[in-house]
Amino acid sequence: MTGPGRSGLAGAFTVAGVVFLWGPLLVVVLFSLHSTAALSFPFRGFSLRWYEEIFSSAEVRSAAENSLIVATATAATTLVLGTLAAYGLTRTSSRARGPLALLFFLPITLPGLFIGTALLVAFARIEVTLSLATVAAAHLVYVFPFFFLIARAALDRLDPALEEAAADLGAGRWLVFRRVTLPQVWPVLVGAACLAFALSFDEFIITFFVIGPDSTLPMFIWSTLRRTIDPSINAISTLLLLFTLLLFVVTFALTSWSERRRRGSAEPLVVPALKDAP
Amino acid sequence: MSGEARVRLEGVSHRFGDVTALREMKLDVADGELLTLLGPSGCGKTTLLRIIAGFERPTTGRVLLAGEDVTDRPAHRRATNMVFQRSTLFPHLDVFGNVAFGLRVAGVPRAEQRERVREALQLVSLEGYEHRRSHELSGGQMQRIALARALVNRPQVLLLDEPLAALDLKIRLDMEAELRRVHRETGATFLYVTHDQREAMALSDRIVVMNAGAVEQVGTPAEVYGRPASTFAARFVGDANVLPVDVLDVSGDEVSVALAERRRQVTCAGARGGPAWLVLRPEAVQVGRLAREAGADELTGVVRDVAFRGTGFQYRIAVDALETELKAEAPASSPELAVDERVTVDWTPSACWLLPRDDDARAAGGPLPTRQETPA
Ligand SMILES: Nc1ncnc2c1ncn2[C@@H]1O[C@H](COP(=O)(O)OP(=O)(O)OP(=O)(O)O)[C@@H](O)[C@H]1O
Ligand SMILES: [Mg+2]
Repeated sequence: MTGPGRSGLAGAFTVAGVVFLWGPLLVVVLFSLHSTAALSFPFRGFSLRWYEEIFSSAEVRSAAENSLIVATATAATTLVLGTLAAYGLTRTSSRARGPLALLFFLPITLPGLFIGTALLVAFARIEVTLSLATVAAAHLVYVFPFFFLIARAALDRLDPALEEAAADLGAGRWLVFRRVTLPQVWPVLVGAACLAFALSFDEFIITFFVIGPDSTLPMFIWSTLRRTIDPSINAISTLLLLFTLLLFVVTFALTSWSERRRRGSAEPLVVPALKDAP
Repeated sequence: MSGEARVRLEGVSHRFGDVTALREMKLDVADGELLTLLGPSGCGKTTLLRIIAGFERPTTGRVLLAGEDVTDRPAHRRATNMVFQRSTLFPHLDVFGNVAFGLRVAGVPRAEQRERVREALQLVSLEGYEHRRSHELSGGQMQRIALARALVNRPQVLLLDEPLAALDLKIRLDMEAELRRVHRETGATFLYVTHDQREAMALSDRIVVMNAGAVEQVGTPAEVYGRPASTFAARFVGDANVLPVDVLDVSGDEVSVALAERRRQVTCAGARGGPAWLVLRPEAVQVGRLAREAGADELTGVVRDVAFRGTGFQYRIAVDALETELKAEAPASSPELAVDERVTVDWTPSACWLLPRDDDARAAGGPLPTRQETPA
C-alpha cells in the first residue's frame, strides 16, 4: 500500500539516512577550511591555514610517508602474490583447487582485532621486531582476500580456448600468460591493487597492534585526538578521504573499462566479485 | 598412399573418467590430403583433433607427426595449427596482431612478419583488414582470419574443428569453396572435422566415418557413398534405404535377392549367400504409375508423401509387404505422383549395395569386421 503519508515517511527516512551518513563527513570537510580553531558553529569564514599547518608539520609528513611506504609495499606484494595464486588456482584441475581457494579468501571474514592480536602474538613468538615491515606483512594478510576474489573472478571469466589457441600457435606457458592472459586482465589487476592500496592506507586496528615506534596517518590522527582536539586533524582527514575516494574511483574505472572492452557491457567486475564473498 | 604418413595414430584410446571418447583409433593421413572426420555429435571427433594438437594426452596409443612420436610433446612444440569451432581471435589484438601472433612468438623479424601476414590475408581474401578489431568482423570473416592465423605459420598439418558450423548456409558454401582453393594453393595437409555429411563430401579427398569413438570406414567420398562399409555409414553419409533381404544366388557381380517375397537383381561385388542389408540410395529408386497388372516379381506400393525439392520430387512409399517406408527421388521433369496413388517400384541394379546382416555386434561397439576394398 502506498499512500501519500507513507511515501512522505519513506522520504523523511531517506533524507535522515543520507544526512546521517554524509553529515559528519561534510562537517569535517567544512571545518578543515575554517579560519579559526573553533570546532563548532557559528562558522567564521574560510581559510587554508590548517592545510598549511599540516604540510609544514614534520610529524604529519613522516606519518604520511610511512603510510605511503606501507600501502605501496602491501599493494605491490598483493599484486604479485595474489595474481600468482588466482592464476594458479584458475588454471589447475587439481582436487585441492576448491579448498585452497577457500583458504585464500576466507580471511576476509576475520575481524581486524583478531588478525591484529594473532599477528602480534606470532611476531612476538618468532621474535620479529615490530616495524613498518610487520605492518605491511599484516596488511597483506588483510587485503589479500579482496584482491584474490577480484583477480580470480577476472581470470575465471577469460575464455580458456584463447589460451589454448595461443599455445597452439607456439607460445609456451609464460608467453601465453604474458601475451594473452595478462593483456586481457591487467586493468582489473591494477584496479584491485589500487583497492589493496586504499585498504592498507586507511587501516587502523591491525596497524595499532603490529606497529613499532613509527606512525602512520591513521595512527597519527588517533594519537593526536587522544591528546587535544586539533582542527588540523580535519584537514588530514579530508585529504585522507579524498585520496581514498580517488583510489576507489580508479579501481572502479579500471575494472569497468576492462569489462566494457571485453564485451561491450558496463557492468563492473568488482561488484560480482565481492558478492562471491561468503 | 605413398611415402610416410603426415599424421599417424596408433591405437589411440581416450577416456574422460568413465566416458570412453575414443577406442583404439588407427589412422594414417597422407601428405597434402584433405581428410575429413565425419561422425555424429559426441563420437570423439574433437577429442581426436585435440589429441593431435597436443591439448589432450591419449590414455593409450601413440601420435606420430611425419614419423616422429609426439605423444608427450606439448601443444606449443608441435607443427600443427588449429582452427576452432568458436572464434578464438584474441580480443585485445587487431587482425594483424592476431595473424602475426605465431610469427612473433617464433621471433620472426618484423619485415618478414608484415610480408607473411599480408600473404596470409590475401590467401583468405581479406587484404587490408590488418587494423580491424575482432568485434568489427562478421562470423565468416572471423573464421577466415582464424584460418590465416593458422596458415601463416606454414603448419605441417592444419586441424579444423567444424570451422563453419556457426555460419549460415550461404556463407558456408562460399567458405567451402574458399577452403578447397586454400588447400590447393598451400598444399598443406588438412584434417577437417564435421558432422555434416554434405560438407564432408564436398570438401574431402578422403572421409573417415566415425561412430562411438571408433572408425567405421575410410574412403573417398564416392567409395563411402557408393560402397558403405556398414549400415551406420550408409545411413550417415547421404540418405539411404536400408532394407533386409536374403541373397538367393550369386554369379559374379550379379546377385539375386529376395525382398518382400519378390526376386530382384542387384549388382554388388563380393556378396555372400544368406541374410543381407540392401542399401538403396533414394535417387536410384524409380517410381512409376501402376498402369497395368503387376508382374509376379514386381514391387508395388502406395505413395504416402510427396515433397518438392527444387531439383525434383521426394516420395515416401509404403511398399506392399515391407514394413519400412521407402524413400525415393524423382527428377522434376518426371510426372508428379499424388498421395495414395498406387505405384511400381524399381531400381538400377548397379546403384545398389549389399552388406552382411551381422550389424548387431557392431552396434554394441565390438570390433569392426574388416571388409576388403573392391577394386573399382
Ligand atoms: N573434457 C571432457 N570431460 C569429460 N567428457 C568429455 C570431455 N570432452 C569430451 N567428453 C566426452 O567425450 C565424448 C566425445 O566428445 P567430443 O567432443 O570429442 O565429441 P565430438 O565428436 O567432437 O562431438 P560434436 O560433434 O558434438 O562436437 C563425448 O561423449 C563427450 O561427452
Ligand atoms: Mg566437437
